[in-house]
Amino acid sequence: MSAFRIPMFIRGEIIEEDWVPFGARNGAGGFEAPDPAKYVDRLPLATPMDLADLYEISFDEIVDVLVELGKALDPDKNAHVQEAMKAAAIAAPYPPAMLRNSYTTMPYVFDRDAIVEIAESRIGVDYLEGWVSRTLRDGREIRVRAFGARALHVPAGNGGLVSAITIIRNAITRSDAIVKVPSNDPMTAIAIAKTLADVAPNHPVTKHLAVAYWKGGDTRIEEHLYRPEHVEKIVAWGGFASVKHVTRYIQPGLELISLDPKRSATIIGPEAFESEETLDEVAVRAATDIGMANQEACASARVIYLLCGTDADGIERANRIGERIYQKLVGLPEHLSTKPRYFDRDLRDHLEGSRMTEDFYRVIGGEEDEGAVIVSQMDEPVDYAPMLSGRVANIVPVDDIKKVTDAVNAYTQTVGIYPESLKRELRNQLPLFGAQRLTSLGYACHVTSAMPQDAIEPVRRMCKWIVDEECDPERVFPLWQTPAL
Amino acid sequence: MGNRTLDTFMNDPIAYFDASITKMHMIPRDGLESLQREAMRTRVAQHRASIEMVKNLADRLGIDEVQEFDDVVPLLFAHTAFKSYPAALLDNKRFDLMTKWLQKHTPHDLSQVPTEGLDSIEAWIEALDEHSNLRPITSSGTTGTISIIPKDKHGGHYAMRLWRLFLFQEFFKEPKEEDLNPVVDVIWPQFADGKLGHLRMVGLLKNEFTGNDESRFHPLYNASINTDLMFLASKLRAAASRGELDRVKIDPKLLEKKEEFEQLEANRPAELQRFFERMTNELRGKRVFMTGTYALMHEIAKEGLARGVKHVFAKNSAILTGGGLKGHVLPENYMETIKEFMGVDRIQEGYGMSEISAMHWACPEDKYHVLPFVIPYLLDPETSEALPRKGKQTGRAAFYDFVNVSHWGGIISGDEITIDWDSKCPCGLESVAIEHSIMRYSEKEGVEDDRITCNATQEVHDEAVNFMREYEG
Repeated sequence: MSAFRIPMFIRGEIIEEDWVPFGARNGAGGFEAPDPAKYVDRLPLATPMDLADLYEISFDEIVDVLVELGKALDPDKNAHVQEAMKAAAIAAPYPPAMLRNSYTTMPYVFDRDAIVEIAESRIGVDYLEGWVSRTLRDGREIRVRAFGARALHVPAGNGGLVSAITIIRNAITRSDAIVKVPSNDPMTAIAIAKTLADVAPNHPVTKHLAVAYWKGGDTRIEEHLYRPEHVEKIVAWGGFASVKHVTRYIQPGLELISLDPKRSATIIGPEAFESEETLDEVAVRAATDIGMANQEACASARVIYLLCGTDADGIERANRIGERIYQKLVGLPEHLSTKPRYFDRDLRDHLEGSRMTEDFYRVIGGEEDEGAVIVSQMDEPVDYAPMLSGRVANIVPVDDIKKVTDAVNAYTQTVGIYPESLKRELRNQLPLFGAQRLTSLGYACHVTSAMPQDAIEPVRRMCKWIVDEECDPERVFPLWQTPAL
Repeated sequence: MGNRTLDTFMNDPIAYFDASITKMHMIPRDGLESLQREAMRTRVAQHRASIEMVKNLADRLGIDEVQEFDDVVPLLFAHTAFKSYPAALLDNKRFDLMTKWLQKHTPHDLSQVPTEGLDSIEAWIEALDEHSNLRPITSSGTTGTISIIPKDKHGGHYAMRLWRLFLFQEFFKEPKEEDLNPVVDVIWPQFADGKLGHLRMVGLLKNEFTGNDESRFHPLYNASINTDLMFLASKLRAAASRGELDRVKIDPKLLEKKEEFEQLEANRPAELQRFFERMTNELRGKRVFMTGTYALMHEIAKEGLARGVKHVFAKNSAILTGGGLKGHVLPENYMETIKEFMGVDRIQEGYGMSEISAMHWACPEDKYHVLPFVIPYLLDPETSEALPRKGKQTGRAAFYDFVNVSHWGGIISGDEITIDWDSKCPCGLESVAIEHSIMRYSEKEGVEDDRITCNATQEVHDEAVNFMREYEG
C-alpha cells in the first residue's frame, strides 16, 4: 500500500496520473509518482530560446513573485504544504515537532531582504539586471552579464529547505530548473511549485520550473535527460551515489556543480574550562551543533576535538565536558532536536562495543537511543566515526592542534570552533587541509544561503558569465596592423 | 551408551549423543529445552565470573543470574564486541594493550603472553598461540578494524569433529565405521594458511580429515594470507570512506613484503592451472571433502566445466557450502552447475558465524537445524527485544552457544532469519529449523535506496568500498 503520491509539475501543469509504485525505505509503505518514462520528453525546455521570457521581466518582478510565494507557504493555511508535511512525516527521518518547525520557517527563506541579499552578495544585482561595464588596461571595454542556464537539480532531502533554496536560486539567476525530488523529502518541492502556480499562474518564473521524481540512477530517464542539448548544468547535492550517478553524464557542454558529501568537525580550546559558566555555555553550544536537525545535516558536529591534553587531568576534563554536553543535548527543546526517529542499528552495535571497552572509551547515555556522547580516553576518535548519527558525538582529547589538522580533509565542510581566538589562529591552516567553513561554536547548523557554500560559489556557477567586448582600433591595437618581425 | 549427564551434554555433546547426528536432532523439544536451560544457567554463571566483559555488562544491567532463555538476551554481544578495541593500538603496535583488551574477552589466562618487541599482528597472534590456550581467529572488517575472536585450541578441534560427523553421516541412518572415521582428500579452494577464521581451520582439517597426511591436502593457493595485509585493506577501505586515502601510512615492515605479495599474485594463474590439473587427474573419482562459499564453489565449477571437466569426484564425497551470497549475484541454477562439476548427488549447506562455534546443517528440506547445544533467538531488528518463541517469526538472528568456553557464547548476528517454532520440519527431525532464506540486513537495506543527503555517513562508506572494488578491478 502506497503511503502517498508525488505528483509531477511541468512548468505550471500538475500531472496526477499514470501512477507507478516506487520502493519503500525504513520499511514504510512506499509511494507512487507519475511514470517518469512517460513524461521525460516533456521535462526539458524545448529550445534555449524559451528562456527569453525571463529577460522581459525585471529582477524586482522576480523577487515580487518569490515574496508572494513565500507568504503563501504558511503551513497553517497552505493545503499543499500540509500535504507535504504529511508525506515527510512518513518519508523523512524527523519527528513531527521538528518537521513542523522546518515548514514554519520556510516562508522566512522567501523574505525580500533575504533574497536580495543572496543576489547582491553572491552575484551582484547589476550583473543579473544588465551589462556591467569596465575598461581594461589594453583599452577595450568589457560588459559582463550573468545569464541563467538550463539546469537540473538533484537537491539533498535532509536539509528540509534545500528545495526552497534551489527554487530561489533558479529564479534570481533567470534559469530553468528541472528538480529531481529526493525520496527523503518527497513533497516539499512539489508543494512550493504548486503554490507558485497558484500565486503566479503562467508567469515566466512558474514556467521555468519542473519537478519530478524518478529513481536516482534510472538510466531510462537520466540518459535521456542528462545531455547538453537539454541541460547545461547539473547541480548535485549529497551522497556519494547521487553525485557518482551524475558524473558519467558529464561532458563538454554539460557542467557539474557538485555539493559533495560532507562531514564536519568541532574544536574546543582549553578556555572552555575557565569557569563553570563558560563550561556550561560551551556545552550548550556544542550540544546545539550536535543536536540540531537531529544530526542529519552535513554541518552537524560529530567528532569534537578538545584541546585539554591526554594526561589524567585532561581525560578527566574530557569526561566532565562529555557529561555536560550530554545533559545539554537531551535537554534541547523538541522543535530543535529530539530523540531520533530511527537509530542506526550498526551504530548502536558499535556504541555497545565501546561501552564495554571502558579502558578506551566512556559512553555517556545512548541506552534508550536518545543520543550519546562517547568520550575517547585517548587521542583517537572511534573507528566508526563516519557512522556517527542520531545525536551521537565523540569527544577526543588531544595534546595539540596537529592531531586535529590530521582529521580535517576534503570531506570536511564546517568546523565549529571555540573560542574565537582559536579560530583566528587556525583559519589560515585548516583550509589547506580541506575545511570549507569555520564558524563560532553553536552556529554550525545555523546557515544562510548568502555565503559561499562547500568552498565554491554555487550561485555564481549557476550563471553563464557572458562578455560583450567593444574594441575601438583607436584605443585597442588592431592585430591587422602588426608589423612583421 | 554415552554419559547422559548435564556435564557431558554441555561439554561434550558428541559423547552425549553417541556421535550420532540423528540423535542430536531427535531429542524431544521439551526435554532438550530443560537441558538447555540448565546448561545455559551453568555456563552463564561460569562466564559471568570468569569473563570480565560479561561481568561488567551483567553488573551494569544488574543481572546476577539467568533462569529463562530470554533472560540472556540483554547479555548477548553484538559482533562489534570483538572489534571494540581502537584500531590505533594495532597501528602503534601496542600489543600489550591489545592483550589486555583480549583478556577481558576470555577466561583463559593471557598473563604469560610476551608482548615486548612484537612488530606485527601476525607475530602477536603467534605469541598468543604459543603462550596461552588461545588460538584466536581474525576477520576483516569495514570500519578500519578487524575482529579478533579468542577461540581456543580445544574448541577448534571440537568444531572440526562436529563437521566430520555432519559431513559423513546422513540423518536417520546409523553411522557406519567409514562414516565415523573417514580419511579423505581435502580440496581447499583458498589460501593454504592464515589467521582469518576460515583459514584457521586448515590445520584442523588436515588433522580431522586426511589423517594428518599432508599429501592429501590440496589448496588452491599455497600461500598464506598475511593478517597485517588484511588490516591494511580494512584501513584502506575506511580511509577511502573518509576521503583520507592520501594519509594512509603503510607500516614499513609490511612494505618490505610488497614484492612477496606481488609474487604471490603473479603465481596465481599457474597455481589455478595446477589446481585443476590435480582435481581432474590425481583426484578423479576419489572421495573428497571440499568446502567454500556459494560464490566460490560456483566459480570453481564454472571454470572446471569451461575446461571440459565434469563429474570429477566419487559420489559419496562431502561437499559443503554456505556463507551467504555476500553481494554476489548467482544464476538460478548455480547448485546444478556445482553438482554437475563435482559429480555428487548431495551438496551440504551450513549456516554459522565466526562468533559461535556451531554450524547449523541443512536437512533434505533445505532448512538449517539448530544444534542442541545452541539456543536460537529471534530479535526485533529495531529494539533487539526477543520475539516470542512461538508461531512463525522473522527477525534478527541471535544465538547462545554454551559448548564454547573460550569466549562468551551469546552473539547477535546481522542476519534476518525465519523460524517456525510450532511446526516440525517435514524432514522428520525434532529440532528447531531455520528457513533457508537468510539475508543480511545490510544487503536488504542497500536495495531501493536513493535518498540523497549532504551528509557523508556510512552510506558513503559502503559506496566507497564498492568504488574501490571497481577500481582494483
